[in-house]
Amino acid sequence: MSGTPGPILEVRDLHTQFSTLDGIVRAVDGVSFDVARGETLGIVGESGCGKSVTAMSILRLIPRETGRIASGSIRFEGEELTTLTEEEMKRLRGHRISMIFQEPMTSLNPVLTVGTQIAENVVRHLGVSWKQGRERAFEMLDLVRIADARRRLDEYPHQLSGGMRQRVMIAMALSCDPQVLIADEPTTALDVTIQAQILDLMIELKEKTGTAIVLITHDLGVVAETTERVVVMYAGRKVEQASVETLFDEPLHPYTRGLMRAIPRLDVEADAAGTRPRLQEIPGLVPILTQPIIGCAFAPRCGFATDRCRRERPPLIDAGAGHLVACWEVDRVRRAA
Amino acid sequence: MTAYIVRRLFATLPVMAVVAIFVFFLIRFAPGDPAAIIAGEDATAEAIAQVRMKLGLDRPVLEQFAIWSLQLLQGDLGISIFSNLPVTRLIAQRLEPTLALTLSTLFVAVALAVPIGVVAAWKARKLVDRLVMGFAVLGFAMPVFVLAYILIYFFAVQWRLLPVQGYAPIREGFWPFVESLILPSVALGVTYMALIARITRASMLEVLAQDYIRTANSKGLATDRVLLLHALKNAAVPIVTVIGIGIALLISGVVITETVFNIPGLGRLTVDAVLKRDYPVVQGLILVFAGAKVLVNLVIDISYAFLDSRIRY
Repeated sequence: MSGTPGPILEVRDLHTQFSTLDGIVRAVDGVSFDVARGETLGIVGESGCGKSVTAMSILRLIPRETGRIASGSIRFEGEELTTLTEEEMKRLRGHRISMIFQEPMTSLNPVLTVGTQIAENVVRHLGVSWKQGRERAFEMLDLVRIADARRRLDEYPHQLSGGMRQRVMIAMALSCDPQVLIADEPTTALDVTIQAQILDLMIELKEKTGTAIVLITHDLGVVAETTERVVVMYAGRKVEQASVETLFDEPLHPYTRGLMRAIPRLDVEADAAGTRPRLQEIPGLVPILTQPIIGCAFAPRCGFATDRCRRERPPLIDAGAGHLVACWEVDRVRRAA
Repeated sequence: MTAYIVRRLFATLPVMAVVAIFVFFLIRFAPGDPAAIIAGEDATAEAIAQVRMKLGLDRPVLEQFAIWSLQLLQGDLGISIFSNLPVTRLIAQRLEPTLALTLSTLFVAVALAVPIGVVAAWKARKLVDRLVMGFAVLGFAMPVFVLAYILIYFFAVQWRLLPVQGYAPIREGFWPFVESLILPSVALGVTYMALIARITRASMLEVLAQDYIRTANSKGLATDRVLLLHALKNAAVPIVTVIGIGIALLISGVVITETVFNIPGLGRLTVDAVLKRDYPVVQGLILVFAGAKVLVNLVIDISYAFLDSRIRY
């Protein structure tokens, strides 16, 4: 990997908004994070917290009729993406930053062969012939361990299983050796056994190619297994950020703690009656984003919330060694551990 | 694929047989007696009976049907009651203008309407889209004969750019042939175009919202490749279907268009034959039109399989 030192991707104070009949939805409301070269960053949160919109904003794939990046900066290799022309963005997409999606069943074009769909990416960005593009497609299918890759080139997506389709998506996304791969819930729609295979494959390929991965998921288990650093999002804001070890050792935001208590665990002892403690849900609902949120977005659902939480938006503070958290009551939360 | 095509070809035979049976009996049971018309208004009962015998209309219906079907299998559509010419020859004489008119209309309509629909879907809810769809509604609502007279008034009478009516066979020169087809094709094609453009737009809009289009965009593909390959190929099945259904629209439109523009085609032949109760000619024409429709459907069914590999019957 060449280029300037420093993070490959820097997102600063990103605001992405959608106009709806009910008003402006602030889907991403001032999010900042960096992605280092070759790193795996996890972005975690519930449905509707703005994590997918963040991903789509980076590639500028927000539908123009309804949504827009209202403010903020996205720098890739030091280059500002928000001011690039659409044509310049197209040169970047699928080439230097690529993306895979949640639904492998519907994300591939049903009427084009797998080979064509991979090869067109290579032909488009690397300026090679179709013959070379197909050869690259074959190499990529082989790399993602699809058996009998030569024959699969001429098959259509409906002839492949869900796991294989996601492998094809990965092959396609990595076919031009991108510097960043954004994976939006890549394993959510897959069987658990297949999930593990796909995650292992992504990590293995990352080690091989040095591609940085932004892994977007609602599944803390996936985060624990695959990522190095984690950003926790809530209601369009970043509420916590830490290395994966720190986050699981000592989650500091009440929301992150809530998420962790909602993970089923096998290592918790059953009591004398043989029952295990119930999983705890987080009470309440995600706030409606058409109203500007005053104070901390999580306050209405938070057991630690005070008047100040409801009045003033908590800034991100460094709780030590780069562990960032946006909570006024972090000391109380820490003591309550 | 070959086996599929052969199977579809064989499947058209029973359809044609049913059409033949239906046509034969429909006409027999329609009111009106051709023998009486041929014999003339003042004819005696005997004269009428004589004509009836000559035409074979006095025989039992089933016997008439047997004779007719045997001839049909040999490619003989019978002899016109009025002109005494073989029906096949009458049809062959009139085939060229109708074929030229429908094919040119089909070609021009599809070549214009599909791109228009694609652009409308791409620029959905923008000005271009609203203009196109406004014209589509207008085009769809306008009867063929009204449009035909408007076109004749401006292009032929006022500005004298094109012939008012008539048909120039292709052997008399290519340009006169094309000139004679422009106004009839436009008159006939506008409804058809409106239909195809609307379906193309609707089908494209649905496809453009699909996940695989998002994938194509995330690969940074050029807009034309996303629209014309990734989207249009998926949107094609309903479009091709409506193009096929529209052929029926064209065939009925041909009758009116040929009358307005005084083109000696199958449409005019049909009107004349029906008015005179020229049974053999009407039967022959319906069979030819039905055959054309079945053939179009066959082509469309086969095209589905090329457009989408998941489709096999």
